[in-house]
Amino acid sequence: MGSVLAASSPNPPPASGGGSAPGGAGLVTVPPGFTMPPVSAVPSSSGTQGQPGTDAESSLPNPGTFEECHRKCKEVFPLQMEGVRLVVNKGLSNHFQVSHTITLSTLGDSGYRFGATYVGSKQTGPAESFPVMVGDMDNTGSLNAQIIHQLASRIRTKVAMQTQQHKFVNWQCDTEYRGDDFTASVTLGNPDVLVGSGILVAHYLQSLSPALVLGGELVYHRRPGEEGTVTSFVGRYTGSNYVATLTVGGAGAHASYYHKANDQLQIGVEFEASTRMQDTSVSFGYQLDVPKANLLFKGSLDSNWVVGATLEKKLVPLPLSLALGAFLNHRKNKFQCGFGITIG
Amino acid sequence: MGSVLALSTRPGRQNSPFPQARPLSRWDRRDGRLPNPGSFDGLHRNCKDVFPQQIEGVKLVINKTLSSFFKVSHTFHLSAVAPSSYRFHAEHLQSDTDSKETGSPMLIGEMDSSGSLNAHSLFHLSEKIKAKAVFQTQQAQFVTWQFETEYRGSDFTAAVTMANPDILRESVIMVAHFLQSVSPQLVLGGELVYHRGRAEEGGILTLAGQYSGPNWVATLNAGKGGAHASYYHRANKQIQVGVEFEASTRTQETTFSFGYQMELPEAKMVFKGMLDSRCIIGGVLEKRLYPLPATLIMGAFVNHRADKLQVGLGVNVG
Repeated sequence: MGSVLAASSPNPPPASGGGSAPGGAGLVTVPPGFTMPPVSAVPSSSGTQGQPGTDAESSLPNPGTFEECHRKCKEVFPLQMEGVRLVVNKGLSNHFQVSHTITLSTLGDSGYRFGATYVGSKQTGPAESFPVMVGDMDNTGSLNAQIIHQLASRIRTKVAMQTQQHKFVNWQCDTEYRGDDFTASVTLGNPDVLVGSGILVAHYLQSLSPALVLGGELVYHRRPGEEGTVTSFVGRYTGSNYVATLTVGGAGAHASYYHKANDQLQIGVEFEASTRMQDTSVSFGYQLDVPKANLLFKGSLDSNWVVGATLEKKLVPLPLSLALGAFLNHRKNKFQCGFGITIG
Repeated sequence: MGSVLALSTRPGRQNSPFPQARPLSRWDRRDGRLPNPGSFDGLHRNCKDVFPQQIEGVKLVINKTLSSFFKVSHTFHLSAVAPSSYRFHAEHLQSDTDSKETGSPMLIGEMDSSGSLNAHSLFHLSEKIKAKAVFQTQQAQFVTWQFETEYRGSDFTAAVTMANPDILRESVIMVAHFLQSVSPQLVLGGELVYHRGRAEEGGILTLAGQYSGPNWVATLNAGKGGAHASYYHRANKQIQVGVEFEASTRTQETTFSFGYQMELPEAKMVFKGMLDSRCIIGGVLEKRLYPLPATLIMGAFVNHRADKLQVGLGVNVG
């Protein structure tokens, strides 16, 4: 058992979720490191935790990636759980890790999912190695696959594919360039040469001061018969123990505030306004971390009258983690609860 | 607590939030006389207690003992399939001495946030004679009102119950029970149900037998309404197993269930599992969260044939 723990303790960065929220990643979310690019862990932590100029006293830190701007706040919020979930993680070697997930669901379909993560041997940092390949297959045949590779010291690419049973729903390719104090990336999503459709996204983030980061996003989408662009601007200010981010654009506004009160308590407040759906919402979330009791509690309160909480507890000495969660929508009078066990 | 359980014959006892004491084992009697067989409804109880109770949604139960006579409990139930509810339960009964001596009645009442009432009262008319009244309402409408008288002899029990007597509609259900200890292990008895409505009347006779071994109990009820057989086995201090078979002529179906209960007192944990012929599998785990006076309950029931899952969490405080 000791070797399993040692091997599965995330040397592969996807399983550690980029080293950000303690115990949060991989427990109740999709397979480790999948939706969030796992590789931007080490550089971004120096940028978002407000330690100015970690690289050198005179130069500005790299601002991280565009998707990560709101991530610190989003990680404080609990995830909705329903049904019963059993996750077994097994580390087969320093490079390879597999996970089996059995989900019994009250609302949707129950299923089995197999996930595998491979981390290559090209080491670029203390916790990062490339290439990283993450794959995930459902019992219905739906596949999620991601390959992340570092082509040069500053250039990183990612290719991601997603299928729903046998039909491809998502295929995208991403290239990112990290400068000393800026990050630029271009993403090509669902390019279809035959139909003539696709989505092109360009991101740019620039550190203006050790605390302030400004940037923009340009989305160009094209379908036979129509094409359009959406632009948005993002600004992020990092204080000593807080991060405030604002994204404003044609699609709406998204503001988030993250505050680390002390070692145990973290708070996040989020405001979202969408022009497409013509509604706004405010959410308040907090995370209480009690490492002595091996406990992690996340609670959230929403302007849609949704109250939710998740409790995660490590059952020492077993390599077992128990997660309980419940969400209550007062307005619609709907209730959802679930629990899960993670082994390994 | 043991006397409370012996006196309680109503099925609602299963849902009581208070922990129940085990009934006295029949094979413990050594004084040469035949033991009292207990009540008719308690014949299958040993086996039924092994099976887990279906739990759904989140339930918070707060038990409070106000004095040696009085206990209250508050239950909050947040449910995904039914409307959420609050229930208040109050019990007036003597828990420290035997009620037969003091003659004080046992009163139990439970009220729902929707107004549904459940009330039981138990009186000791003499040392051997007990009278019971049960009232149940669904919001404003009375659903059940029944009166029972029970006589406990030295080796037999006789009871007469009158359920839902309605003079205006001329309907009533009368049930007579009789149980006799034939030997220290064998109990035989019967139940006669007479129901009368405006247009029809009828009677159903059911015979019952129970045989107890040193660590097992086998019970059989057979009659025109169907058959119900159960077998309870205590393998060791930790594991108890129950097997149940039910056949009903009215609904024309049979069910076979297997259940087990595993107690781990060192880990303060009780696990009950169940497997059914209707392709239902369920398990409930109860753990006392020492040193807090709280118990955590987690349960899940899967109906494979209908592909439905029910998950529940509960916390009992006090």
